[in-house]
Amino acid sequence: MLAFVGLAALLTSFVGAGWLAFAGARTAVAQRRGEPGTDLRTPVLMVLTGALASMAVLQAALLFDDFTLAYLGNNHARATPFPFNVATAWAALEGSIVLWGLVLATFTWLVWRDHDRRRDALSAGALAVMGLVGVFFFGLMLTVANPFEVCIEAAANRCLASSPWPWSPIQAPADGPGPNPLLQNHILMAIHPPLLYLGYVGLTTPFAYAISALALTLPGPEWLRRTRRWSLVAWSFLTLGILFGGWWAYEVLSWGGYWAWDPVENASLMPWLVATAFIHSSLVQQRRGMLQAWNFVLVISAFALTILGTFLTRSGTITSVHSFTQSAIGPVLLGFLVLVLAGSFALFATRSHLVASAPRLDSFWSREGSFLANNLILTVFASVVLVGTIYPLVLEAFTGTQVGVGKPFYNRLTVPLSFALLLTMGLGSVTPWRHAAGPLVWNRIRGPLQVALAAGLVTAVIGTRLGWVVLAVVASVFVIGVIVRHLTELAGRRSRATGRGFFTEALHVLRGDQGYWAGQVSHVGVALVALGLAFTSNLSVHETFELEPGDTFAFAGYEMTYRAPFQRTEPSRTVVGANIEVHSDGRLVAELQPRANHFGSDPTGIPSPAVMSRLSGDVYLMLINIDNTGIRLEANTSPLIWLLWVGGLVTAAGGFWATQARRAERRTTALEAADA
Amino acid sequence: MSHRRFILIGAVGVVALVVVLVVNSLSSGVTYYLYPSEAVAQRDEFSDGTRFRLAGTVVEGTIAENGTVTSFVVSDGAEQIAVDLTGRVPPLFADGVPVLVEGTWVGDRFDADEAVIRHDENYSIPEEGGAFES
Repeated sequence: MLAFVGLAALLTSFVGAGWLAFAGARTAVAQRRGEPGTDLRTPVLMVLTGALASMAVLQAALLFDDFTLAYLGNNHARATPFPFNVATAWAALEGSIVLWGLVLATFTWLVWRDHDRRRDALSAGALAVMGLVGVFFFGLMLTVANPFEVCIEAAANRCLASSPWPWSPIQAPADGPGPNPLLQNHILMAIHPPLLYLGYVGLTTPFAYAISALALTLPGPEWLRRTRRWSLVAWSFLTLGILFGGWWAYEVLSWGGYWAWDPVENASLMPWLVATAFIHSSLVQQRRGMLQAWNFVLVISAFALTILGTFLTRSGTITSVHSFTQSAIGPVLLGFLVLVLAGSFALFATRSHLVASAPRLDSFWSREGSFLANNLILTVFASVVLVGTIYPLVLEAFTGTQVGVGKPFYNRLTVPLSFALLLTMGLGSVTPWRHAAGPLVWNRIRGPLQVALAAGLVTAVIGTRLGWVVLAVVASVFVIGVIVRHLTELAGRRSRATGRGFFTEALHVLRGDQGYWAGQVSHVGVALVALGLAFTSNLSVHETFELEPGDTFAFAGYEMTYRAPFQRTEPSRTVVGANIEVHSDGRLVAELQPRANHFGSDPTGIPSPAVMSRLSGDVYLMLINIDNTGIRLEANTSPLIWLLWVGGLVTAAGGFWATQARRAERRTTALEAADA
Repeated sequence: MSHRRFILIGAVGVVALVVVLVVNSLSSGVTYYLYPSEAVAQRDEFSDGTRFRLAGTVVEGTIAENGTVTSFVVSDGAEQIAVDLTGRVPPLFADGVPVLVEGTWVGDRFDADEAVIRHDENYSIPEEGGAFES
């Protein structure tokens, strides 16, 4: 029953998307000529309703344990607790594409609202492109990744064979194996995929506007202005998605790390880097009319990288928690990627005469110059990650040799690039447009530079002499110092002139140029992340202990006692672990339970570390082994790791705040009106 | 020199520099994945001190701890190699689990300083054989 409804919903979206592609293109052409064109409400609402309904059907199936659907037979269990039963909807390939479709449909609907207000060719064309993307993804769900296949042959707790035809004779298993155990272990796993998808799929909107602008020969800054908010929304969600992914890896995967240059992580980082470059370079075009062609290249690349990322993670090319299974979706995604790249760049090539004209760079020592440097660094960064990610695949495809590109490769190239980026960030933020007078910039950075050097000196004297850490302290303090100095300077000047309080004026300054200051908030976040990365990757210590009940050991300034092992049975898993008491100066400060979780009949189990967070950093305990006589425990420290989480949140918050900036938009419009 | 040519030369220079750096780092930053039978067959190409990753299953009953060194034997069904692991043992390391160890040949033993447990995409122990296609 649910399978019928689900399929009908998918068909509705698919047909709506096809209709939207066709009608959108016709309307765009008509409106370009000044004719009215047709109303696009119906196809858009079809796409949205179908997508909402398909997710609702999936959720209903999960809620009512309807194991007639093969998806549930393979990924759900009656015992799966809330909220993981809800999250099971995106715990495997077919369901995650449903989520993708829903997010795409939502963004399509939001673009349509913009279109409905303006009724212009640009947004109609963008809707046509989104319709085409929708045809692809809803087409996927109707063919190679059908979430509503029914189970036609069942074992006790698994579906053995399925059919796409809902009228097939159904044989449902009594129960299922439940979602991937790793995904049931932490709440972050329930929210990380939707956040990442909002970022990934969100990049479709600027891409759609860009293609529309090219196709309709409207290459001016209008498409940038219209998509700035969408780019920022996508970027902010992508930031959160990456952050929560790393956080989850740290809290769940039990290796004490948050980033391993795993292809799956790289897949999320590459579009983020390119989108970051785009957010900066689009400003240059809006303010100075430069980099027109470059912005198209960036936005097409960012979108292509999201498809590449999906291909890498979902196709089974790379074995990881994200690549669910070997399925037919790999070649299809690869084909779509080639189509997107070939189609976009062919269109770009035929329109290149329109985007070639650009005013010159007056001086490299200007805001736009620093944005150029920023773009260069970010694209080189993205290229390095791209090469490292696909080199093993290419080599294996051609020679059959299996290799891994590890940390040394990435660190050697990305660490210097990151420092260059921090330097550009510090200097660029306070460099005026067009041409910067040396003394002015020097005046703005002199104080912060002194503070930064002093901070580096203090770190070296009382903390660590490790070069990278000291350098990271200097660079991060410099970036934050420049921003703080600039704000206090402006607010102080206003306060002296008006006689009002300093904080009132500081708020006034922030609100007066919200786009700029929101960007600076993100910069502060990035600087904090850089600090966190430097501390945790260089100053972490670890030690292994063999313990019997009652044994006491010292670690990181704490006295710890292994009290006793414990075992408890929960509906979906059996948990085995060790009770560890943590004392500081004879006082009990925490009881930690590093443990192993056994789901169903899986003999290995999934370890869960126990983390104690303090301002100075985390103490991280993981169980290596447990048996009748004792335990083997590994203890780690992660100094100041909260800087990483806080920095990531601040970075994303800056992005969200920037979406609320309207003034910069109005001012550019006024400038252009004046130019014309 | 004209403005345009200056930018062009600058761009080509930057691209060339990046390519050289990336290729250079790749050639030294890559580690090979080998199964025990491949490692034995290619023993001559991987001299003592050349790092690679060895993938196999821990043979039942071979785990022995000696101070900070954990010794065990990995197998791919065809060949077996004795491994001496210094450094952290991955959580839930046990007989029969598929592991990936990184290190170098020392004589006919493998000297590893890193080890991870390999799970398949369902995060459960793979069936015998064909466990390490990645």
